[in-house]
Amino acid sequence: MHSLSRRLLVSVSLPLALFFGVMMLVLDNGFRALTERSLQEVLDSEMVSLIAAAEPQPGGGYAPAPHALDPRMETPHSGFYAQIRSQRHQWRSPSTAGLDADFGDLLAQGERNLVYATFGHDRVAIESRAIQFEDDPNVTRELTFSVAVSRSPYEEQLWRFRQELVGWFIALMLALLVTLAALLQWVLAPMRRMEREIHEVEEGRSETLGAGYPRELAGVASNLNALLVGERKRVARYRDTLGNLAHSLKTPLAVMRASLPGQQAAGAVSTEIDRMSGIIEHQLKRAAASGGALLGQAPVDVAQVAAELRVALLKVYADKDLSIELAVAAGTQFIGDRGDLTELLGNLLDNACKWCRSRVRLGAALVVGAGLRERLSLVVEDDGPGISAQDRARVLERGVRADEKVPGHGLGLSMVRDTVDMYGGWLGIDSSPFGGARFSLRLPGSERSL
Amino acid sequence: MRVLVVEDEAVLRDTLKMRLAEAGFTVDVASDGNEGLFAGQEYPLDVAVVDLGLPGLSGLELIRRLRAARKTYPILILTARDNWQDKVEGLQAGADDYVAKPFHFEEVLARLQALLRRAGGWASAQLKCGPIVLDTRAQTITVAGAAVELTTFEYRILEHLMLRAGDVISKTELTERLYDQDFERDSNVIEVLVGRLRRKLDPQDQLRPIETLRGRGYRFALPRDAAS
Repeated sequence: MHSLSRRLLVSVSLPLALFFGVMMLVLDNGFRALTERSLQEVLDSEMVSLIAAAEPQPGGGYAPAPHALDPRMETPHSGFYAQIRSQRHQWRSPSTAGLDADFGDLLAQGERNLVYATFGHDRVAIESRAIQFEDDPNVTRELTFSVAVSRSPYEEQLWRFRQELVGWFIALMLALLVTLAALLQWVLAPMRRMEREIHEVEEGRSETLGAGYPRELAGVASNLNALLVGERKRVARYRDTLGNLAHSLKTPLAVMRASLPGQQAAGAVSTEIDRMSGIIEHQLKRAAASGGALLGQAPVDVAQVAAELRVALLKVYADKDLSIELAVAAGTQFIGDRGDLTELLGNLLDNACKWCRSRVRLGAALVVGAGLRERLSLVVEDDGPGISAQDRARVLERGVRADEKVPGHGLGLSMVRDTVDMYGGWLGIDSSPFGGARFSLRLPGSERSL
Repeated sequence: MRVLVVEDEAVLRDTLKMRLAEAGFTVDVASDGNEGLFAGQEYPLDVAVVDLGLPGLSGLELIRRLRAARKTYPILILTARDNWQDKVEGLQAGADDYVAKPFHFEEVLARLQALLRRAGGWASAQLKCGPIVLDTRAQTITVAGAAVELTTFEYRILEHLMLRAGDVISKTELTERLYDQDFERDSNVIEVLVGRLRRKLDPQDQLRPIETLRGRGYRFALPRDAAS
């Protein structure tokens, strides 16, 4: 039920079904009353003509005069039957021939009734009247006239009517529901569009929501856009400030160190300067890492960042005879900040270049079926001495302060760990088939649509 | 070796100038980007140290313009914004290495020497040409294993010639690398220094390590050892 359109469809179709049901009952009742009245009229008129045609017979009793009878009464199984009956005599219309027709008991003076019975397979309505002829006062002629008419044609009519009624109502209701669904599709289209665009912003495929939303949603869309743009500007300003802060804190440190007389340069003051510098570095970088909170930023092409870093590192490590192999699957993108990715890969690759004998390899690929936050897989490995098991745990440990760094694996790795945490990703260390350390990361990623 | 230091912080600039001079460099200084651009284009430099956070012309822009002006000497970046984005940008702009602030002077020196070696086509800190070995880190010379004492100026000339062993280097170029720009130049000084070097390195006049090309300059004639 967590869909507006489903809620609407259900809440409209229930009353609609109820309405149609009641309508059907009312119409059905009306039509039945109508058919019953017309059956009654036929019975009445047959009764009147039978009574009018009745004549006394030589052998006693009454029968209709020849040719005065409704021709349908002459035809067997025609659905029109009649009977004139007294205490001793009885006449039946020829149409009853071969039928087990029971018109009911004799009626007392002045009685009349209407009953339903079955003649053979024919369901009939029987109207009977007790009539007294007084043309011969000596003889009491109490007669019971009965007329029976088959109900089949009327029932068939009623049945057909009901079929048509139900058919039309169902068709109408379906048509209404389909129309409603189509209308909902149209009415809710802007909301679906908004959902889609928010998703695109989330995946970094677009920067803001588009224009042209209906009045009711335009406010939401423009507020959301303002929020996105504002947030982006805020983070940029924040980073700029942090960068300037780092600069303005570290330059005095550099001056302090430079002012130390030769002998003290390696002493306690110098060590403290290193510590302070490390803390500034670590805390400011941590604060500057956006951690993926930045929505609507263009996704970062991993191959491009990796290639830039490779060139830079080959320059820095020009004295070392090493190869940096990049195995980045085409179209692999990182969802997040370019600076964060550069920092992550820069630190890991720098570390690998520092420790390797001659080989460094960066692998990047998208993991099919993984969640958005863990779709990008990055692997950095080298053929150096590797990292011991205790040191691995220490590198990954939460809350290890920057200045308690693992010997030989400096600030860089704790920075990597913090950034990966901020992105809700995953970082692991084990041994590379090359013999050195292997860092495996999972980060938010997507594939560039080609 | 002549080095340009572009740094806006006076204390750092002065310290670098002093310590680099102590280490045998001829040092030019500039305190902002535009001054740095002028010095970088006008002086015959072997290497430059550029702070990225400069007033006026930024360090990045300075490096780009120097490279656009076809200045090919190595450039070392000093940066307080120690993040990879900035490093990559700096290296892409044309710098060759970086050192993060607050730096140890020894690291700056080591990087500069490494850059100079690389620029001269040398892979290790020891420049070996036959029996003559010059250690750029220790600033020592040995000939066939025996140490040879050189004066500062003699060392500077020999280092320059050996770093670019095989290339012809003019007297003017050597002079410029020995003295600051405002020093009164006298090409006879170079001739005297080269003569003293020849006697110290090759007393028996058998190796003939330094060739004189009349009217053009000098060339370190011994071939570089393949291993280095």
